[in-house]
Amino acid sequence: MDREPLDRPVTLAVVEDTPVVLEGIRSWVAADPGRRVEIVASGNTVDSVLDGAGSHADVLLLDLELDGVNSLPRIPELVAAGRRVVVYSVHEDDATVMAVLRAGAATFIAKTETREHCVDTIVAVGRDRPYVPPVMAGALVAADGQTSRPMLSAREREALLLWFQGMNKQSVALRMGISEATVKQYIERARVKYASTGRAAPTKTTLLARAIQDGLITADDIIEYQSLAADHHPRD
Amino acid sequence: MTASETSVRRNYSLGARRAAVSIVAAWHLGFDLVGTVGTWESYRLPWLAGLAWVLYAGIGVVAAVALLTERPLRFGVWPCAAGALAASAMVMAACAPGDVVNAANWGWGSVGWLAMVVFWPRPTWLRDLSVFLLANVVVTLAGLALAGALDPRSLSKFLVVSVGAITLQAGASAGGHALDLAARWAVENSNRTAGAEAARKAADQVHADRLARYAEVRSAVAPVLTLLAGGADPADPDVRHESAVGAARLRRLIAETDDAPDPLLHTLRACAFDVERRGVVVLFLTAGTVPPLPLEVRRALVEAPIEGMARARRQARVTLVATPREVIVSVLTDAPSLPSADGSRAANVATRVEAENGGSQLWIESRWTAP
Repeated sequence: MDREPLDRPVTLAVVEDTPVVLEGIRSWVAADPGRRVEIVASGNTVDSVLDGAGSHADVLLLDLELDGVNSLPRIPELVAAGRRVVVYSVHEDDATVMAVLRAGAATFIAKTETREHCVDTIVAVGRDRPYVPPVMAGALVAADGQTSRPMLSAREREALLLWFQGMNKQSVALRMGISEATVKQYIERARVKYASTGRAAPTKTTLLARAIQDGLITADDIIEYQSLAADHHPRD
Repeated sequence: MTASETSVRRNYSLGARRAAVSIVAAWHLGFDLVGTVGTWESYRLPWLAGLAWVLYAGIGVVAAVALLTERPLRFGVWPCAAGALAASAMVMAACAPGDVVNAANWGWGSVGWLAMVVFWPRPTWLRDLSVFLLANVVVTLAGLALAGALDPRSLSKFLVVSVGAITLQAGASAGGHALDLAARWAVENSNRTAGAEAARKAADQVHADRLARYAEVRSAVAPVLTLLAGGADPADPDVRHESAVGAARLRRLIAETDDAPDPLLHTLRACAFDVERRGVVVLFLTAGTVPPLPLEVRRALVEAPIEGMARARRQARVTLVATPREVIVSVLTDAPSLPSADGSRAANVATRVEAENGGSQLWIESRWTAP
């Protein structure tokens, strides 16, 4: 998904207690033509992975349920320590997705998501770029429609909705009469808007900063969406 | 009991209570006060008679407030009753021995009214009032004995006043409670009538629904059966798809009346499950909570998507996005085409069916927007 050349592969630490799922992730990562991701550590608990080779991994891929225990409460401390956490789970209802995002995870991947989405997401997160897998897009649309102060524009909503419904970005672009790049921009901007609310975290700050550098949003946008910008970017 | 029935009962009940309080107030001011003041000079202990009047009035106010506001009586029922009895005894003690059966001794004939108000809200009011009136008779008789007024003339006067007072007091109490009971009977009666009427209407509705459902079942399966009866080959893919569509419609009809917490989701899931059993890979994703929707809206929302699912050959991605103001159901599938839907329509539901991915897929979206 990323056009800029990679200096080195994104390093990934995987916390997963089911061997077959771990094997699946390994094979997906291995099948990526660009070899953009390298798995440096794996294990069935957060601590075992982070104590070893995983301590310096760019991205931590965390199964939301480990040995029947919900790992959601662990997310805030990991995020506060500057880790880029990608959560994946079979529980793909919007409440779970939004809880994960609120806890500070960079993104959520449903286990029903395809290989491309999985690898693209990890690469994007490793480089502090927003990526919205389709299931997360549905959760964002539903969550935004439930608040009294929606953050998404009508066009952003429409793009997320079609993305959730299973269209590729080319189809979404065709249907909305815009370019593929604009579709990508709409979807990623929606993610950035949601990153600018809720709990502050170093990785979120970086995400916002990159988004501004990339022209995805302007600094003014962030002031409007409050909290994080106020905490980490003194208004300059 | 409905709100209006409750209020009918309350009105009757409150009316009777107000009447009871009015009687006591009128009696105490019109009769007792006049008796006390008018014969003030003849009392042996006038201050005691005055104190008894004030005690009576105090208990009366407390009991009246409790009765009219339907709160429990302060200090309890029996202490109040004992106070009333004490007032009766105090007036008698205040009287000169020769006056115990005269107007100066107003207490023993009057405290029954106070007791009526004190005991009014109790289910055991009749028993309680009887006990009180009997105790009052005993106290009065004792007073007569102490005053040495057990001569036939005094006793006969005592009997006349007692019987008169007791009859009036018990009668008024019984009358008030009878009014309450009558109101309850009237409400129960009207409830029974309303219940019967509701049951009849429900039966009519059920019958009408059955007829409508029968018509729908017929329209779901008749085309396929006609096709087969006409000699169509069941192995023909088109016939098989028509059958699948008929089965999906039947499934929807069955599922939409199930008592499920989320009927729309339930219907879609039931249909997805059937399609999966045919070997189609269905990915079913939902986001948000579906607001309560009327049946015709639900039907219009799911009809085209279900038709699309039923025609899927190998895979279908079914999504549902719901917010309080919008519900969007979509199916992205490899179904070849969808005959123009001529079925359910509902206000505020828009359905789109479009080719996707250069015609290799079909995209169906139904969208309800809150009016």
